[in-house]
Amino acid sequence: MKNIPYDQWEPIIGLEIHVQLNTKTKLFSSSLNRFGDLPNINIDEVSTGQPGALPVLNEEALFKALKFALATEAKIEKYSRFDRKSYFYPDSPRNFQITQFEKPIMRKGNVAIDIDGKNRKIEIKEAHLEDDTAMLKHFNNCSAIDFNRAGIPLLEIVSEPMIYSPKEAVLYAKAVRSIMQYIDASEGDMEKGNLRIDANISVKPKKERGFRNKVEIKNMNSFSSLEKALSSEIVRQISVYTEHPNEDVNKLIAQETYRWDPFKKQNILMRKKESAEDYKYFPEPDIPPIIVTEDQIKKIKTDLPELPFQRLKRYISQLNLSKYEANMLVLDKNLSDYFEEVLKISFYPKTVFNWITVEFAGKLKEKNETLFSLNIKPVHIGNLINLIEEKKITGKIAKSVIDDMIKYPGKDPIDIVKENPNYTPIDDISYLKSIVDKVVKENSQTIKDYKKGKDKAFSFLVGQVMRLTEGKASPEVVNKLLKKTIQGLG
Amino acid sequence: MELYKLSAIGLRNIFFKKNISAKEIVKYFINRIEKKDEKLKSIISLLKNRAEKKADILDKKISKNEPLGKLAGIPIIVKDNINIKNEITTCGSKFLKNYRSLFDASVIKFLDEEDAIIIAKSNLDEFAMGSSNEHSAFFKTCNPWNLKCVPGGSSGGSAAAVAARLSPISIGSDTGGSIRQPAAFCGIVGFKPTYGRVSRYGLVAFASSLDQIGPMATNVMDMALTMEVLENRCFKDSTNLRLPFENYTSNLLESLEGLKIGVPWDIFKNVDQNIYNNFKNSIEVLKSLKAEIISVELNILKYSTNVYYILSPAEAATNLARFDGIKYGVRSKGKTLDDIYDLSRDEGFGEEVKRRIMLGTFILSSGFKYYQKAQKVRTLIIRDFEETFKKCDLIALPTTPSSAFKIDSIKDPVTMYLQDSFTIPANMAGLPAISVPSGFDEQRKPLGIQFMGPQLHDALVIKAGYAFEREVKYSFMIPPIFDEE
Repeated sequence: MKNIPYDQWEPIIGLEIHVQLNTKTKLFSSSLNRFGDLPNINIDEVSTGQPGALPVLNEEALFKALKFALATEAKIEKYSRFDRKSYFYPDSPRNFQITQFEKPIMRKGNVAIDIDGKNRKIEIKEAHLEDDTAMLKHFNNCSAIDFNRAGIPLLEIVSEPMIYSPKEAVLYAKAVRSIMQYIDASEGDMEKGNLRIDANISVKPKKERGFRNKVEIKNMNSFSSLEKALSSEIVRQISVYTEHPNEDVNKLIAQETYRWDPFKKQNILMRKKESAEDYKYFPEPDIPPIIVTEDQIKKIKTDLPELPFQRLKRYISQLNLSKYEANMLVLDKNLSDYFEEVLKISFYPKTVFNWITVEFAGKLKEKNETLFSLNIKPVHIGNLINLIEEKKITGKIAKSVIDDMIKYPGKDPIDIVKENPNYTPIDDISYLKSIVDKVVKENSQTIKDYKKGKDKAFSFLVGQVMRLTEGKASPEVVNKLLKKTIQGLG
Repeated sequence: MELYKLSAIGLRNIFFKKNISAKEIVKYFINRIEKKDEKLKSIISLLKNRAEKKADILDKKISKNEPLGKLAGIPIIVKDNINIKNEITTCGSKFLKNYRSLFDASVIKFLDEEDAIIIAKSNLDEFAMGSSNEHSAFFKTCNPWNLKCVPGGSSGGSAAAVAARLSPISIGSDTGGSIRQPAAFCGIVGFKPTYGRVSRYGLVAFASSLDQIGPMATNVMDMALTMEVLENRCFKDSTNLRLPFENYTSNLLESLEGLKIGVPWDIFKNVDQNIYNNFKNSIEVLKSLKAEIISVELNILKYSTNVYYILSPAEAATNLARFDGIKYGVRSKGKTLDDIYDLSRDEGFGEEVKRRIMLGTFILSSGFKYYQKAQKVRTLIIRDFEETFKKCDLIALPTTPSSAFKIDSIKDPVTMYLQDSFTIPANMAGLPAISVPSGFDEQRKPLGIQFMGPQLHDALVIKAGYAFEREVKYSFMIPPIFDEE
C-alpha cells in the first residue's frame, strides 16, 4: 500500500448488536432456551413452523428487554408491537421472522464508554425484540437444520452512526455486553453466540460533510473479529477513494453486504445492494400489541441491580482505583464480581486488582486458563493478598506461590506457604545486615545518587539485596537496614 | 332406529338413557358416510380407529356411571384445516396430502374433553381459500339439495356433511364467510363467533386477523351447545379473549320483543330477486316475533370486499410461506435451494392459492401503500358498525347474494369473491354472526338469513337465530336424496 493519509479520513460506524437473552424458554414458545444440547431437542410446533402453531410472547423476555431499556436510560415505548419480516431461507422456520420493525420496544438509549480517558456516550437509536433463527450445518452431500436455536429471544440493539474507530466499536460492544450481564439479561458468552454483531461502515475525508456510501459487515462474533473486520474495511475504503481521486465517489464504494470470515481473516462479499431483499414487513396479527404501563416501569426500575457505570463510580470514589483499573474490571462482570469476593477476605483493592489482572492473568494466559476455568476460589486469592500485605511473604515468594496455586487449584496459599520452608521470608537481622553492608560497599555511586534525592537509586539497592537473598529477604527489614546503614555513612 | 333424523342433543339423550351404545352410534354414522358420501364427496378422511376408541371409552364410562361430557356420544366432523394429533391434516392441498399433525388444536382438546366423537375430516377449498369447494385439490363436494351445485365454501364439506346428516354437528372456520355461506347454501345453521372467542391454536392459518373457528349444525340449539364447548380459555393463542363462560343454550326465547333489528336496505340494489323476496318474508317473520325493524345505513360496507382482498391475501402470503418443501409436506426435486422452493410451491399449491399468494406478495412488496390504506378503511368499518349498533341491537342481512350456483359455472375469480360480500363485514369488524335457514328459492335451493351483533354479544345473535328458527322451522328439513337410511 502506498502512502495513504489515514489521518485525514474519518470512519463512521453504526453497530447492530444481537444479544441472546438468557430466558428459561424461547421467545414465542415453551421450548427450553439452552445451549449445547443434541440437535433438535429443544423444539416444538412453534419453533419448527408447523401449520396451526401460534406464537405467544414470553413475558420474561419482555421484562429483560425493559430492564435493558432502563439501564441505558432509554425511552420505553408504551405501545410497541411485532412485525413479520419475510424472507425464504431454511434457517427460518416460518419463512418470516417475528421482529419489531415499526414500533420497537425502546428508543433513544445511551451507553457510556471511556476512550483513552475521555468519556463518550454512544446513543442507541432503538432496540427490538425478535426471534433467533435455526442453525444450518453443511455436510459433504447434504445440509441439516438444528432448530434448537430457532426462537431464542434476541434483543437487537441498533446504535446511531456515531462510532468513529474500531477501538470505539469494541468498547461500545463490550459496554453493551456488560450491561446485559449486570442486569442478568444475557450471559454475553461470545463463544456460545450470545452476542453477534453487524456493522454499517463508511469513511469520508474529515472535512467533508454528510455521509458517503456505507457497507454492511455481518457475522462478527468476537470482539477481535469486530476490530479486525472494521479495520480492514476502513483500509479498503480509504484506499479505493485515494486511488481514484477523480471519480464519482458514489460509484467507487457500492452499498454492499459483507461477511467477516474469521479463518480467512477478510470480509467476503455476500450480496450487492441491487439484489437486496424486500422484507415485506407488516404487523404480526397473531400477537397483540405490547402495552407497558408506568407502574410496570416503576417496579422494574426499583428492582434494577447496580449497573456498570454505577460500579465504575464506586470503584473510583470508594476503592480509589484509577479510571483505567476500574474500567478494566467493570467491563468484565465475572471478573468484577470475583474481585468483590476477594475484597470480602482482603480489603486491599489496589493490591487485589494488581494480583488478579497482572500476576495471575499473565501466568494463566500462558497456560490458556482463567481463574474461572481452574476454579481458583476468591478466598484463596484473598488469603494470598493478606499474606503479602501483612508482610508474611515477599512479592517474589508470592509469585512462586501463584505457580503452586495454578498447579494445585484447590489448595489454600496459607497451606502452601506453611508446607514449604523456602516460602518463609528471611528476617534474621544480623544475616541481612551483612548483605546490606556488602551492597552499600559495592555501590558507592548509587548511594551518592540517592543522597542527591534520586528515589530510584534506593529501589535499585533494595533490588540488589533481594537478588542476593533470592527474593526471600523481608522487604520491610531490608528497607530499615538500608536506610540506617546509609545514614550511618554520614 | 333412524339415527340420522335426530338432533345432536336427541342423539346424546338416547345415549344417556342407554338406548344405544357409543359403539353403535359410531358404526351407524361411519356406515352412513361410507354409503352416502360417494355422491356427496364431503369427507377427506374417515377417523374410524379414533372414533371407535373414543366410543369404547364412552361405553365404559357409561357402564360405570361415570360423569359424561356435554357432547357425549355425538359424532362430529371437523374441517380438514384443524389439527388432530397423529391424523393427517391436508387443508385440501396436495402439499399436505401426507402431513400428519404433531399436536391437537385446542378445539379438538375441548371437544374430546366433553366426550364428542370426532369421526371424520371434511373437504374444503385449499387452505380455506374459496367459496365453492371447487378449489379443493382432491375433489369437488356437491350440494346435498342439488348435486349439480356447489355446497359453498370454504367449509363446504362440513356444511354438506351436516345437511346430508352424515353427522349432526361439524366444525368449520370462517375468514370471510366460510362457515355462514356454505351453511346458507346447504340449509343448515352456521355461526362465526366474535373474533378471539374460540381459540385458533391448531387451525392452519389463512388470514390470522380474520380467521375464527365456529360450529355448524342442523339447528340452533345443537350449534349453541357446541359453542359452549368450543369457547374455552386458551393460553396458546394470544388473541384468545379468555372471557367468562357463556351459557348459550339456556334463556333462549321464542320472542324477540324489545329487540331492535337494523336492516341496511341499500345493499339490495344488486341482489337477486329471489333473495330479496325471501329476505322480505323473513323480515315479516321477525316482525311477527315482535322485533322492531329499523332502517340503517352502512355505506362503508361496500368497501369491505375490496379491503378484504387486500388484507387477507397479505396475511395469507406470509402464513403460507412456511410451506416450502424443506421441513414437511411435498418436496419437489430441484438442483438448488431456490429450485426446491419454486418447484415445491408450484407443484404443491393450486391455482387459487397461488393467485392469493401472488396478490398478497404484491401488496406487501408495495410498501405500506395498499396495506395501510386497507387497515384504515377496516378501522372505519369497525367504527361504522359501532355507530350503527347505537341505533339497533342486531343487524339482519341475507347470508349470500344468491343461492348455490352450479359447479364450474363461475370462472371469473372476482365474481366468485363477490359471493362473500354479505359475510365479509362481520370478519372485518370481528363481529359474531349466524346464518339460519330462511327458506328456498324457486329451484328448491336453500337460502339463509344472517344476524350480526356487536362484538361479544354472541348470545344475543344466537338468541335471534333460535327465535327465527322456531318460527320458520326450515332447519328441520332434510335434503330428499339423503332422507333415508
